[in-house]
Amino acid sequence: MNGWLVAATVLLAAGFGPVVWGVATGPLERRVVAQNFGTSVVCLVMLLLSQAYVRPSYVDLALVLAVLGPAGTLVYARLLADDLGDDPPHANLLTVVAASAATVIVVAMCVATGPGRATVKLVLIGVLLVAGNVIASRALAGGFPGAGASTRD
Amino acid sequence: MSRRMRMWVLATGGLAVAVLLVAGYARLPHFGGAVHPYGERAVSAALARHTANVISSVNFDLRAFDTLGEETILFGAVLGTVVLLRQTRDEREVPPAPAEVAPPVRRYALIMLPVALLTGLYVVAHGQLSPGGGFQGGVVVATALHLLYIGADYRALEKIRPVGTYEVGDAAGEAAYLVLGVAGLLGGSAFLANTLLPYGTFNTLASGGTVPLLNAAVGMEVACAVVVLLARFLDQAVEIEEDNGSAMGKES
Amino acid sequence: MTDALTLVSLLLVAASATAAVAVRDPARQALVLAVLGLALAVLFTVVQAPDVGLSQLAVGSALTPLLILLSVRKVRRRGQHEGGDR
Repeated sequence: MNGWLVAATVLLAAGFGPVVWGVATGPLERRVVAQNFGTSVVCLVMLLLSQAYVRPSYVDLALVLAVLGPAGTLVYARLLADDLGDDPPHANLLTVVAASAATVIVVAMCVATGPGRATVKLVLIGVLLVAGNVIASRALAGGFPGAGASTRD
Repeated sequence: MSRRMRMWVLATGGLAVAVLLVAGYARLPHFGGAVHPYGERAVSAALARHTANVISSVNFDLRAFDTLGEETILFGAVLGTVVLLRQTRDEREVPPAPAEVAPPVRRYALIMLPVALLTGLYVVAHGQLSPGGGFQGGVVVATALHLLYIGADYRALEKIRPVGTYEVGDAAGEAAYLVLGVAGLLGGSAFLANTLLPYGTFNTLASGGTVPLLNAAVGMEVACAVVVLLARFLDQAVEIEEDNGSAMGKES
Repeated sequence: MTDALTLVSLLLVAASATAAVAVRDPARQALVLAVLGLALAVLFTVVQAPDVGLSQLAVGSALTPLLILLSVRKVRRRGQHEGGDR
């Protein structure tokens, strides 16, 4: 029995299950928010899995996701700006939840890893993930004001 | 062919596929079993050549010829896209209007551009040690450049992206893989054989013989190929418009 | 616990893949596809194939959505032009 594995399973089931539901149904605004939140959840699951399997190199998956995931959400925010324009999604609560979960998990993993280069990498992933999530949420809530049908960017 | 006949053909084909699949699955080793004949051989071969990431050893050493095929598929696919999405005679180029982007998003994209580039290069360089390699890293590098489109606009991206250079890079990456293969043939034993270079110290950057070099070649090819691919799509979506007179009816 | 994790990720992949087929609007489909990619990446990692998972993440998180949405934009613009002419 491995606590990290339990945490990963619980986070996956409780965090990503609703994401699949949220992205498959409902208005477009809810779907983009679900996609953005899903990126954070999976990034954290990857971190927990690397700790559960005692494979530090699996952290690279979380690193790539922390870099590219928010970029993907920004793509949606940019190219769907017309459709999101009427009622841009505000998901402050969800952003706070994702940021606090990221902080808790990264700190716990840093404590478990001990000082060293691996810890620096973990902190970097945590910072990139939280910053990316916050920026992506802000972009969804109206970061591309002029990218309407009239302008061809 | 009548509808009834078509359904019969479909049913026959579906049944044949189902039979083949079931027959294939029946012979597979059980999920999560203890015996892995291929895995054990691959792991010992990878360790003998000081490649810590066995998957990289399989992809770029044991079955490097397969990877050449995969690389060529991407090369051919991008070539096809370039031909299909070219600007045709009844289309004209419209300069894209600048886009408004909120300052925090712009700052984020500009800060993340070098970070993502570095991450991509890190993934390429550590292919022989940790999950990743030329393909994954190459895609990250190419995506990184397009943060400039997200953070600014298409004109800013076009300034750092002379498509011609990336087309040359695409071909050069593909050629480098072939050259390394021929080098194995001339200097060692066989095409793409990993007998040319010293295997190095296990679990360091300079290990695995030709694996890191092949990774670099694939990384260059994939990064350039994805940039060229996205350039064609972006041109079509942002710049190229049909002439008004020919917009009706004539589909090209 | 490993079995539970495998089961959960398989179920998530099945659910999101079904949703990706059931959703008809391409823009929304791109979003479901991104989530399907995330689920697949978790599944690959759970069955100890992190290389494949990394490929999935690299391609699925930003590149595929960009390609799909650019195609959608092109098609929509063409539709607008033709609508205006008639």
